[in-house]
Amino acid sequence: MTQRSLRRPNSLRVLDWLDILAIAAWGLLLLNYWLTGKLSLLIHPRYFGLSVATGLGFLIISALGAWRLLKTDPAPNMRHFTLFPPGWMSSLLLATAFLGLLVAPRPFASQAALQRGVTEPLALTRRQPQAFRTDSQPEARSLIDWVRTLAVYPEPDAYTGQKVNVQGFVVDSPELPAQYFTLSRFAITCCAADAYPVGLPVKLTQSHKAYPPDTWLEISGQMTTENLAGKRQLVIQARSVKPIPEPKNPYAY
Amino acid sequence: MNQLSNGFTLFLSLLVEAFPFLLLGVLSSGLLLLFVDERKLIATLPQNPLLGALAGSVIGFLFPVCECGNVPVARRLLLQGASAPVAIGFLLAAPTINPIVIWATWTAFRDQPEIVVLRVVFSLLIATVIGWVFSAQADLRPLLQPAVAGSMPQRFTTALRSLPAVSPQSREPYLLQSGTFLLDQPGKPLRIDTTELQTLLVASSTTAKPLPNRLQLLLENTLQELRELGGVLVLGSLVAALIQVAVPRDIILGLGQGPITSIAAMMILGGVVSICSTVDSFFALSFASTFTSGSLLAFLVFGPMIDLKGLGLMLTVFRARAVIYLLVLAAQLTFLLTLFVNLRVS
Repeated sequence: MTQRSLRRPNSLRVLDWLDILAIAAWGLLLLNYWLTGKLSLLIHPRYFGLSVATGLGFLIISALGAWRLLKTDPAPNMRHFTLFPPGWMSSLLLATAFLGLLVAPRPFASQAALQRGVTEPLALTRRQPQAFRTDSQPEARSLIDWVRTLAVYPEPDAYTGQKVNVQGFVVDSPELPAQYFTLSRFAITCCAADAYPVGLPVKLTQSHKAYPPDTWLEISGQMTTENLAGKRQLVIQARSVKPIPEPKNPYAY
Repeated sequence: MNQLSNGFTLFLSLLVEAFPFLLLGVLSSGLLLLFVDERKLIATLPQNPLLGALAGSVIGFLFPVCECGNVPVARRLLLQGASAPVAIGFLLAAPTINPIVIWATWTAFRDQPEIVVLRVVFSLLIATVIGWVFSAQADLRPLLQPAVAGSMPQRFTTALRSLPAVSPQSREPYLLQSGTFLLDQPGKPLRIDTTELQTLLVASSTTAKPLPNRLQLLLENTLQELRELGGVLVLGSLVAALIQVAVPRDIILGLGQGPITSIAAMMILGGVVSICSTVDSFFALSFASTFTSGSLLAFLVFGPMIDLKGLGLMLTVFRARAVIYLLVLAAQLTFLLTLFVNLRVS
């Protein structure tokens, strides 16, 4: 047997390099998301460490793989059981990583909030409040704190007259009168896949047309109770409405 | 356009959240494959069918493997003389009963701890029951592919010499058998195929190899598994994202809120989308707001046991008849248990 016949066929070597390239590309993408702050658009900050470590891990694994391919000539080995022809999976991984590097992910906006049902009450399957504190300053509550507090004690009259100061984006709810819109935020517990919108109706002194959907606003005012869309509910009576830039991290936790 | 961008964000978020768990799963299964001596482990397992099935289901904790890793390990267990309940229990439970999968499920369903607990309990229950059922078949070989049955340990073969129909291949003249042969000595050709190769590997146990070789194997294994499982993860996330953004919400809600339709839909989805068990909870999570808890559980319990990718692998070990038994039993048990959850618990 000659030395040559022991070598791995060239087609297999190309596939080996494709594997390594695909894993390296994903490592770069994960680290890129971390360094550019886009990770917060995709997952809960609790899991940033895992993603960063995985990005580094992928780079290390691909570097080791490349080193081995360059240094030694691996013997022809049994490739694992595969569902698809060789090369498909690594090409798919590589293509997705490039797509991720080229196209920046966008946070969810008002349209998604309407589609996912911002106006429905929080489904019971979702996060239950961790604690119910009546002593906390009402104006210190965020939008999601308000919605959680309401989920525990839904009687709107209990909050009437309390001061409120919250941030969120405008959702143009079709069932509300012209003077109202819904101020909304997406809450996530794991990643954008489980993002669910929360929101409260806001009452203005003028038509809501001044604030197009997806505008980020900081609203302060007072809580009142009103009959809207056939049910009695808590409404923010806005005293000041201030446009703010979209936060770097648009989700609430 | 907006829908497309939402779908893309969803798709990426599933991938970014899932890749760490995929890497952990691949690394630990590779490590255990190379550093744990399975034969010593098997020797300690109980002989009683029910306890054996339970033990087989629980040792998944020591082999954090996805459903692509569990079939080869189950095959090795059989080849090394583990009893049928142990092997079947392992085959069905190992993808779910392991620390990384439980952690990933907890990550995804932190708000609904009952899903995490019930996933583990139901998987254990179903795997143990099916393993126990298979203990009724004292000799597993009629249910195995001839090549696997033929290379089972000697103590089985000698005890069952009187059953010639079991493995006709071992008795056929070598010239009538297909495969690759090594002409070692005149009149005594050695047959080579992957199963027998594995038996040889088992005989020379990977743990006996020098460390640098084992590390090389680990690297090779990691690269291949990441590529295959990562590719399936990308496809699975694509399906999840497409369903979320392309199917109108009232259709999803209509399907997802029915106690029976939701379970049927999620079981079919779990069988088709062969997403790895370490990351399937993130896939299920994207349905959490629209589907019943029972149906999410059905996906999380049934998917890792039976799916398209797993079926292909199982057919390399078992005959079609046995795979159909496994499929039907697992599907029925999952359906009944999760229906109970939908009707009584939530």
